[in-house]
Amino acid sequence: MADHSPSTGQVEFQFNGKTIVAAPGQTIAGALHAAGEHVLSSSFKYHRPRGLLCVSGRCPNCLCTVDGTPNERICQTPARTGMQVKSQNAWPSPKLDVLRVFNRFSRFMPVGFYYKSMYKPRWMWPIWEKLIRRITGLGTIDPVHGGDGDYEKRNIFTDVAIIGGGLAGMQAALAAAEGGARVVLIDDQPGLGGHLRYDPDLVRAEWTELPLRTAANHRIEVINGATVFGAYEDRYLGVRQGERLLRIRAAQVVVATGAWERPYVFENNDLPGVLLASGAQRLVRLEHCTFDGPVLVVTDNAQGYRAARQLKGAGVTLAGLVDTRADSTEAIDGVTIHRGQTITAATGSSHVTGAKLATLAGEKKGTIGCRWIVQALGFTAATSLLYQAGCSLEYDPALDQPVVKKYAAGYWSTGAVNGFHDPQAASAEARSVGAAAAAAVGSQPVPRVVERPTSSGATAVEPNYVAPTSAKKQFVCLCEDVTVKDVGDAIDEGYSNIETLKRYSTVSMGPCQGKMCQAAAIAVCARHNKQTIAQTGVTTARPPDQPVPLGVLAGRGVQFTLVRQTAMHDWHVRNGATMSDAGNWKRPGVYTTVEQEYDAVRNRAGLIDVSTLGKLDLRGEDVSKLLEYIYPNKFANLPVGRVRYGVICGEDGIILDDGTVSRLGSERYFITTTTGNADAIDSWFRSTLVCRPQWDIRFTNVSTSFAAMNLAGPCSREILAKLTTSDVSAERWPYLAAGELTIAGVKATVLRIGFVGELGYEIHVPTQYGLHVWEAILEAGREFGIAPFGLEAQRLLRLEKKHFLPGVDTDALSNPLEADIGWVVKLEKPDFIGRHSLDRVSQRPLRQKLVGFRLQDSTPIEAGSLVLSGTKVTGRVTSSGNSPAVGTTIGLAWVAADQAHDGARFEIRVRDSNVPAFVHEAPFYDPAGERLKS
Amino acid sequence: MPSPMWRQHELKESYDVVVIGGGVHGLATAYYLTKLGVRNIAVLEAKYLGFGGSGRNTAIVRSNYRTPEGIAFYDHSVKLYEQLAAELEFNVMFSQHGHFTLAHNERGVTGLIERANNNRMVGVNSRVIYPAEIQKLVPHLNVFGHSRFPIMAALYHPPGGIIRHDAVVWAYARGADRGGAHIHQQTEVTAIDVHQGKVTSVRTNRGTIRAGAVVNATAGYASTISKMAGVPLPIESHPLQACVTEPLKPFLDAVIVSSTLHVYVSQTDRGELVLGAEVDDHQSYSIKGSLAFLEGAATHLLELFPFLANVKVLRQWAGLCDMTPDYSPIIGEAPDVKGFLMTVGWGTYGFKAGPASGHLLAERIASGKTPKLLEPFGLERFANDCLVGEKAAASVSH
Ligand SMILES: Cc1cc2nc3c(=O)[nH]c(=O)nc-3n(C[C@H](O)[C@H](O)[C@H](O)COP(=O)(O)OP(=O)(O)OC[C@H]3O[C@@H](n4cnc5c(N)ncnc54)[C@H](O)[C@@H]3O)c2cc1C
Ligand code: FES
Repeated sequence: MADHSPSTGQVEFQFNGKTIVAAPGQTIAGALHAAGEHVLSSSFKYHRPRGLLCVSGRCPNCLCTVDGTPNERICQTPARTGMQVKSQNAWPSPKLDVLRVFNRFSRFMPVGFYYKSMYKPRWMWPIWEKLIRRITGLGTIDPVHGGDGDYEKRNIFTDVAIIGGGLAGMQAALAAAEGGARVVLIDDQPGLGGHLRYDPDLVRAEWTELPLRTAANHRIEVINGATVFGAYEDRYLGVRQGERLLRIRAAQVVVATGAWERPYVFENNDLPGVLLASGAQRLVRLEHCTFDGPVLVVTDNAQGYRAARQLKGAGVTLAGLVDTRADSTEAIDGVTIHRGQTITAATGSSHVTGAKLATLAGEKKGTIGCRWIVQALGFTAATSLLYQAGCSLEYDPALDQPVVKKYAAGYWSTGAVNGFHDPQAASAEARSVGAAAAAAVGSQPVPRVVERPTSSGATAVEPNYVAPTSAKKQFVCLCEDVTVKDVGDAIDEGYSNIETLKRYSTVSMGPCQGKMCQAAAIAVCARHNKQTIAQTGVTTARPPDQPVPLGVLAGRGVQFTLVRQTAMHDWHVRNGATMSDAGNWKRPGVYTTVEQEYDAVRNRAGLIDVSTLGKLDLRGEDVSKLLEYIYPNKFANLPVGRVRYGVICGEDGIILDDGTVSRLGSERYFITTTTGNADAIDSWFRSTLVCRPQWDIRFTNVSTSFAAMNLAGPCSREILAKLTTSDVSAERWPYLAAGELTIAGVKATVLRIGFVGELGYEIHVPTQYGLHVWEAILEAGREFGIAPFGLEAQRLLRLEKKHFLPGVDTDALSNPLEADIGWVVKLEKPDFIGRHSLDRVSQRPLRQKLVGFRLQDSTPIEAGSLVLSGTKVTGRVTSSGNSPAVGTTIGLAWVAADQAHDGARFEIRVRDSNVPAFVHEAPFYDPAGERLKS
Repeated sequence: MPSPMWRQHELKESYDVVVIGGGVHGLATAYYLTKLGVRNIAVLEAKYLGFGGSGRNTAIVRSNYRTPEGIAFYDHSVKLYEQLAAELEFNVMFSQHGHFTLAHNERGVTGLIERANNNRMVGVNSRVIYPAEIQKLVPHLNVFGHSRFPIMAALYHPPGGIIRHDAVVWAYARGADRGGAHIHQQTEVTAIDVHQGKVTSVRTNRGTIRAGAVVNATAGYASTISKMAGVPLPIESHPLQACVTEPLKPFLDAVIVSSTLHVYVSQTDRGELVLGAEVDDHQSYSIKGSLAFLEGAATHLLELFPFLANVKVLRQWAGLCDMTPDYSPIIGEAPDVKGFLMTVGWGTYGFKAGPASGHLLAERIASGKTPKLLEPFGLERFANDCLVGEKAAASVSH
């Protein structure tokens, strides 16, 4: 069932500057092995040489930088011509890493040594830290060229998702499909089959066709080369497939993730040349490699014998086989079996040269020369997705692995992850689990019949985790260079809880996330605490189960951040407007100069695009009831054809937003919100409405259905009159009138309001006519000297009227009473949102107030400047500008209540001096509002 | 054999002060109490030390807050942190490489200016800087490249930085232990007895303890504990998520925060990038991470550092945040229940405050008088409507 076979047509790539030739289909790691390159990386802390171990993308040893991308698992990366592969954490090379001196000084770097050193005297730490930051980290990132891919995302909805395409996964998928379910089968390897792919002796005749049958089944979608990294709430799976993120929502999830061999802990167990048996099998079977010297196999189970036989069959010399079981009887022709023994050390400095043996009691048995040590000493079940999903598991000593006690809703597991290492048994179990999962789709919960193997079958009576030796360099955690002694010391120091042990010793915190070490760490911790493995517990399994690139997670999100443009956007750009961001919207800042635009509005007419305002259409008998409840001011008495200003507060009485409410018919209202709060206010209305299903209200968000513009200035009535046949006289269309007009042939909703303090009309037309009406108004206004104006001029114009902007002039603590619009709060109303809080505010003296101020001159004041009383900070400036109407700098500021009366003087801090300012109670421009109402 | 950081004890029948919660706040309070001579203390922790936010936070320490009250309080904490390694003889690895809060719109810039001005009044080092200087100080940040929301300014706070959070927890635990406090892990409080308006005892899964005073230092669980004593709190618990990448050779020394992009990032001395965001918007006691968080954090980080696309996320997690309406903590005695004290409402920003609140609350307990720096933070402020508004300075910045 191999996926590729050697053929002609070679691949050439560079490894640390050396040219390596790979057979087509080989991974980088396979090619390096074949080329005799066995030192791939340097370890994190001591810079020890490291070589291939698991050959399945689970251990940290083969992490290299490939074409500028750090930390790639090269045993999973197909070799391609021209690739640049570099070792990490090693200078000048992994064979000759100068920082390997750390290995010799390791006794000065015991567990957690950095917590106990380098902080005295205080100034030394920054110097030490600089040094640490120079040597820490694994790969180097390229800040110029790093990272770009064709990222994309795909959403999948399915009846049954099966994770793992080994024997159990395939059988479960077929059974589920036969049960009528739509199935998605996800596997991280390039082909289905799991360990059948590299262990031919396990394959029974009737299984050879399984991958084909599975792939051909029309109810099953097979997704290869894809890793499920997260089992999130409600059966939502995060899956990485190359540069693609798959998001799968499944009714039922079957976890068939199998198990991997766990590394045995002995002296120098991290030396290049020490391999897992399944790794050796993969090298031979999938990578078509051989071994360049004698192999010693260490095992306590049948898997070790199978691996040994397969190696021998492939022409590899065996130095012997060490079987920890004294009473085993299995034999291999021509191979010496050392029964009742185990390995306590590997010898050699940059590659294995031999192995020291001993009895399980620790009695030395001498050294055997060998170049490779292949270990098959038990499995770690791949349970992390089950933990992530919220299943509860318990360690079962008979099986020597955690097993599920209670499944999270909709979860199942089957095969080796459940402890079934006998393929025949796994196959049968998987079929019944698959069928049950299919039956559970969309129906009432089906009773679960959970089968479990009675013994692990694969391992010896006593599980082997740690060799009987007290040598120092026995690595529990390869990623972090944590030894057995380190773990013991950490526990003695009080870090006896497995979680604190992890954080202090960093055991299981490396790039493999504990896949290679968690089981041994728990065993060592249990032994040291004199507890059982079950009592010791496990550390929390956290996603992602395999590392996922940020680019894959982001997808094209970066490019997809919405840019919203109004119907008149292109016109603005063509006419020289600077565009600025307002949330996701683009809005014109200024077309010509603020002075010219200001002048047009005050003396002739101006037109501003206000399409970005939030717009809500409410109809129904009970709308006025809703408005009475949402707004602190009164709306029940708003006559048809009128518009009124309104403020919305939270329960805490804090201003959320302001805007207008127009009554266009007896049961028809039109509401505007500010640009920035359009979405928030939409949700605010909706969440209020869902609790009142009995109310007769139809709510439509028409924000983007209408373009809107504000025609303002003394000439605006005459301009409007040119475009409509209706009577727009002051008598028919007075200040605060609202209604419909046909303008330039387009039916428009018109509100006679004036944010900038002039006679003005806010005109809403269907978006598709926005540009037409905009241009028609400008054309009609040409003879009057109309000009488009942008946000900057608008800011100044409104400031002269002392209109505040929510969120600019108010903050998360501003209430209407202190923001000086107390008149909108009608506490006599029986109830409205925020009433309780505002009632309380009304009963205490006001502490601060939002006031207008002016300076004696035109000193510029930045918004954000502080207001002082003596040396005490009492408030802040929120807006300011140089007012043509007043001739000095004016602004809005929060000041203490006792500073808030008309004419009161206060100080504004500008850099390191104080500038006097004076409270100005009335609007700075047209205080009586005559122009506005004209 | 190395000496243990903290010892195990039998539960005594009675303690002068019972601190609930083995996070930075509980342990710091206990430590400073022992320094003031109050030694008959127990710290009760339901799980293990650092199980809560103190073991889950992203360890940003800074004092560039918004209100004069807030700035002065956090400044006290930063100063204590600067001395902490020497005082506790444990390297807590406080690296002060600077903290940058980015603004991408005008409103954001105004907020930064206001904070800088307030910081300056209190004597805290922070100032607003503009793109050219930002680029100089953070060379790899995408300041001038293509970006949906270009960076307009930053609040630069040189003393800000990150710390090894677990080390702080352990060091305080050791300090408290040495001072005589009993640290009880796996000891969960199940009820609190109040008699005639005064706390009398605490019930746990290991038995009942009489207590002179009880301190609620349980962060995400604070309102549940408080309820046991009949003290309602204006607190909502929300999950907050974070993640780390594989270790990389360091290229980023500073902490970078953008509230417009809802993301912040720093790089630890191990080389991992630590990413976070703002709290999940729903209330919950779940501490499971979500895929949506990872997608959002990655998207936003790549706007700031596009070249990180191939860098891999290694681990994600969540913790609980006890959010108050004004984004400031609640510290002091409950007005209606004598002997029931609290240091809660630490939200997304409380790790940096451990030393200050521990130190000042210990003083409050030992002397019976409220230190000046604590005055603004009492529970009464909600009844009196005297809030300390830090939302603008604390929502994404932590
Ligand atoms: C993802 C994340 C990132 C953060 N980032 C930062 C940051 O960068 N900077 C910053 O300053 N802050 C940050 N914070 C906030 C910070 O972590 C917390 O505010 C702080 O740790 C709270 O400390 P604590 O000691 O009050 O509570 P915790 O550390 O939460 O400790 C409370 C303890 O109480 C225990 N407990 C609960 N109930 C009981 C019971 N019934 N009996 C006994 N014990 C109980 C819990 O087990 C827990 O250990 C972050 C938080 C999170 C979640
Ligand atoms: S071996 Fe990878 S984390 Fe320990």
